[in-house]
Amino acid sequence: MKRTLPVAAIFLAAGSLYAQFDFKVAGRNVQLHSFASQGFAYSNDNNYLTMNTSSGSFALTDAGANISVQVNDKFRVGAQFYLRNVGNLGNFHPEVDWALGDYRFAPWFGIRVGKVKTTLGLYNDTQDLEFLHTWALLPQSAYPLDLRASTIAHTGGDFYGTIPVKKLGSLSYTMYGGSRIDDPRGGYYYGIKAVGAVAVNTNGNQIGGDLRWNTPLPGLLVGGSYLDSPLGAHITVEVAPTVVFPGSVSGAERTTVFYGEYKTGGLTLAGEYRRERLFGMESVPGILGEHFAWDERGWWASGAYRFSKRLELGSYYSRFFPSWADGDFDKPGNHLFDKTVTARLDLTTHWDLKIEGHFLDGYGSPTSFRGFYPQDNPTGFKPKTTMFLVRTGWNF
Amino acid sequence: MRHRVTFLLACVLGAMVASGLAAADVKVIANPSVGAAAVSADELKGVFLVTKTSLGDGSHVEPVLEKGGPTHEAFIKEYLGKSDAALQTYYRSLVFTGKASMPKTVAVDAEVVAYVAKTKGAIGYVSAGANTAGVKVLDIR
Repeated sequence: MKRTLPVAAIFLAAGSLYAQFDFKVAGRNVQLHSFASQGFAYSNDNNYLTMNTSSGSFALTDAGANISVQVNDKFRVGAQFYLRNVGNLGNFHPEVDWALGDYRFAPWFGIRVGKVKTTLGLYNDTQDLEFLHTWALLPQSAYPLDLRASTIAHTGGDFYGTIPVKKLGSLSYTMYGGSRIDDPRGGYYYGIKAVGAVAVNTNGNQIGGDLRWNTPLPGLLVGGSYLDSPLGAHITVEVAPTVVFPGSVSGAERTTVFYGEYKTGGLTLAGEYRRERLFGMESVPGILGEHFAWDERGWWASGAYRFSKRLELGSYYSRFFPSWADGDFDKPGNHLFDKTVTARLDLTTHWDLKIEGHFLDGYGSPTSFRGFYPQDNPTGFKPKTTMFLVRTGWNF
Repeated sequence: MRHRVTFLLACVLGAMVASGLAAADVKVIANPSVGAAAVSADELKGVFLVTKTSLGDGSHVEPVLEKGGPTHEAFIKEYLGKSDAALQTYYRSLVFTGKASMPKTVAVDAEVVAYVAKTKGAIGYVSAGANTAGVKVLDIR
């Protein structure tokens, strides 16, 4: 009951406001928008993404609602609330997704201040908005549902703009800095329990930027992003029943992304390469003190074709390696590949239904927190997983 | 057989005429507060993709779109290079990430003209035959 109330509130608010999503208050334009989605996942063997997928799970729900006000020609303010329940993650806990003031001095220069969605790769800032994508589940090598909070937004500010480059198209840039608030209901906090530790605080700062080139070839976009985030986590480690030691993880996390997208007619081709380097020191005073260096790499490529206003079909291939340095990529514990096929049906302009098949090979490392967790699979992991996913979403 | 070929040709030509409303059949209109008498295709694209809120002469502008129909399809194909579905996805990606508001949308030419006439900085498009009293028609450079 406690969990269903916030969801019901968002649905009811959105529904009741449908007729007046665009109106004026004191002469200023006010807009209200919302979205919601519900999924069902069924897998043959392993449980995936903390859901009980091997028995079939409806625990894939999210919703959001936003309000924005155009204060004057250049200044706009707004905020969005978001909640989700993905298996054991999220737990319908509402959060401020973004809340910002945006002042656009000119097309080539604007500032956003507040809690701002982070621009990283093609879809980081839109990863929760299933209705924008062909897929029910984005490639997890780049957009892991469990680790959403580590990159989704920062509290600070952005400089952004678009600069025309005459016959060469245009360049869009975003530079940002701020603090990241991690999610105690997310994959890191959940996953670290499997190694006998409890995360206490993993918040930190981050700076980064994104540069994308809208090329003169219509529909072709290429770009790159970089994110630098000092790594700092306070944890507690249970070394024996009732014996708990405080510990810490310190270091840095550096993410580099290169991407491209090409759209022509009904065809969309896209791809992305992502490398995350994490290095630093883990310590539990008196027990453990060691340096670590992880090199995670992944890429994905996709193709989708819209056959009609109502039907789009697509497929992607995603590869993730939790430890590139290990080199033994054949081990199912050191790779996670996903071949996906999707049919997207647009039942109306505001309501979609997706039917998707995932053919997963490998399960990654238990400490990469990418969908497969020991506590959800107590009898161990099978090397391959086939998952059927249905998701429907609504927005206005 | 000859009748069939003639009939098929007539159907194809008819379909081309019906669906092939060209950009030349669309007029771009603006509120009289907009100082410019002409806009470039790039400026128009910037305004309707909400990356541009003013024209070269400094006039503030805000776009107004038609909900659908041949004029809308012809305009967005010619000047924005997007289908209607792709354009809606683009606008929603901005709205739900806090990067922009949804542009004003109205149903038919007469509503576009009425909205543009009363809204400072408004810029829209209508079919070539629409009555544009109260607004200015912009040339496309």
